[in-house]
Amino acid sequence: MNNINPNLNTNSFIKIKKFLLSKSKYNFCNFIFFVISISLIFNFLTWIFINSNWKVVTSNLNLYAFGSFPPDQQWRPILWFFSLLSITFITVYGPKWNWIRKNLIFGWIGTVPLGIYLLNGGLGLNPVMTRHWGGLTLTILITSCSILFSLPIGILLALCKRSSIFLIQKLSSFYIDVMRAVPLIAVLFFGQLLIPLFLPVGLEIDRVWRAIIAFTFFVSAYIAEDIRGGLQSIPNNQIEAAKSLGLNKYQINIFILIPQALRVALPAITNQLIGLFQNTSLMSILGLMELLGVSRSILANPEFIGQYIEVYIWLASVYWLFCTIMAFVSKKLEQKLTINKGY
Amino acid sequence: MSKNKKIFFQILLVFAVLGFLGILINNLIINLTRTGIGFNFNWLTKPASFSLAEHPLPYSPSDSYAWALFMGWMNSLKVIISSLVLATCIGTLIGFLRVGKNSFFRIITAGYITVIRQTPLLIQLMCWYFVGFLSIRNNSFLNITNILNISNKGIELFGFSFSSEFSALLVGLSIFSSAFIAEVIRGGIQSVPLGQWEAFRSLGISEKHGFIKIIIPQALPAFIPGLTSQYLNLAKNSTLAIAIGYADIYAINDTIINQTGRAVECFIILLCSFLILNLLITKIMGIIDKSIMKSRI
Repeated sequence: MNNINPNLNTNSFIKIKKFLLSKSKYNFCNFIFFVISISLIFNFLTWIFINSNWKVVTSNLNLYAFGSFPPDQQWRPILWFFSLLSITFITVYGPKWNWIRKNLIFGWIGTVPLGIYLLNGGLGLNPVMTRHWGGLTLTILITSCSILFSLPIGILLALCKRSSIFLIQKLSSFYIDVMRAVPLIAVLFFGQLLIPLFLPVGLEIDRVWRAIIAFTFFVSAYIAEDIRGGLQSIPNNQIEAAKSLGLNKYQINIFILIPQALRVALPAITNQLIGLFQNTSLMSILGLMELLGVSRSILANPEFIGQYIEVYIWLASVYWLFCTIMAFVSKKLEQKLTINKGY
Repeated sequence: MSKNKKIFFQILLVFAVLGFLGILINNLIINLTRTGIGFNFNWLTKPASFSLAEHPLPYSPSDSYAWALFMGWMNSLKVIISSLVLATCIGTLIGFLRVGKNSFFRIITAGYITVIRQTPLLIQLMCWYFVGFLSIRNNSFLNITNILNISNKGIELFGFSFSSEFSALLVGLSIFSSAFIAEVIRGGIQSVPLGQWEAFRSLGISEKHGFIKIIIPQALPAFIPGLTSQYLNLAKNSTLAIAIGYADIYAINDTIINQTGRAVECFIILLCSFLILNLLITKIMGIIDKSIMKSRI
């Protein structure tokens, strides 16, 4: 978990100054590299601010955010974004009241049904078909749904892989190994093709949900491995202590093992989350209008043809920003959890 | 749990799993007969009737589907092996600079790793293909006579020419994987205790010599597991070739499904080819690991 580099602080700049003034034998070579990088950065910046045409981004911001969501209903995804933002803020900077700490997890879980309700409609809101979902909204929805579904499955698989019952252990390790061997794009593609084939006649799942199911299948195998690593790191005397307190097997798993394993596996799970967020872009190959899919359709518009660089830089910075936020939140969460370790 | 209980539970589980699979397969058979596709592998010998832009061995549209799939496998293998080598070279260099003493390089490499790791590979690949190779206008970007020629038709090196799809995939995959490999290298070097550095310094061995002879050999075993998983990821990521039109194993499976509609068979073929590929990489890395361990003792 090293998405944010600790070396990038003001200290480094003092060091740069020191090294530029020092007489090391590499100084000349360094200086040339320094000049090259500075000129590259300078060229890049001049291109960004002067030579490029950002109209392809600025005039389509609505599309990037919501896809083809009906304009009069767009307050719904905005409300959802806002709720996500506020719960993130509470997690990172919120007061250390006990009830907040205890209920935060339910708040996080609650954002997913809230998002589905707000996007899907029904129960007093106008229903919106899933083919109108798109842009960043869809990207975040796929990510959050998949991670929410794959966490419990991952925990279950990890526990099964450690089970003493031969068959359960073999089955779950077979599933995990196969899923980890197959490329994600294949899982997604065959998820789109094969899930309808395995369902009884008449029952249909639409494309967004098939994508979420395929992502869940895929990510749960990876999360299972991370959590298994967490479970292995728990010393055996924890289990002995729990047994001596008279807890039964299920209580040991639920109250002793899983919380500790989750805490150890948190950085790894965050990496999976970040990977998942980036990999939702693969759905654009399979025709879903998420962030990259919307951009591809914008680039196909004759008005903006050939403006690849602007769009890709914009997309890369959006993805980068969200991934960095996730890494930051997870780091803060990790710190909080370590502080609370004592009691 | 007592032994009898365990056996009973397992039998129950077998029935549950079999029953669930039975329902799924029953649905599958109903759906396949309904659409009139069926399930067999006879189509593999029929002519593929699509052409491939790139094939390492002779291939024509009248050749069989099986041969087309084999070409895809070869293409995949080609791009995986070459980007594996390139990514390892770049990643090692970046990893060394990342832990080095030079703070300027440390900042640059840290920035490189963050940017590369936090943006999706698909966007990077598209960027390399559409912006990097296809938008080279006046036919040549870099031309060193008879040695290296980078143009919108790809890369030509010592008379070997590589298509622009292959080159974009190679560059994109190598750059993306190199950021992860650099982190593996950094972790491996940092796993060597600081005392080792102090020890060789106090013995009067030079920085460079000590790094190569003392630190690297001790860090090597720590590299291997991380590198293996990165290589496996690279192999899996190579399937994104479909986004830029390189005919790898997945792209050819995709074409065949579009032509024949045989999704189940193609899934099995793809699964098997990736299981073989993974086994290959894991075995080779296992051999390397063993030889390192032997040389240490």
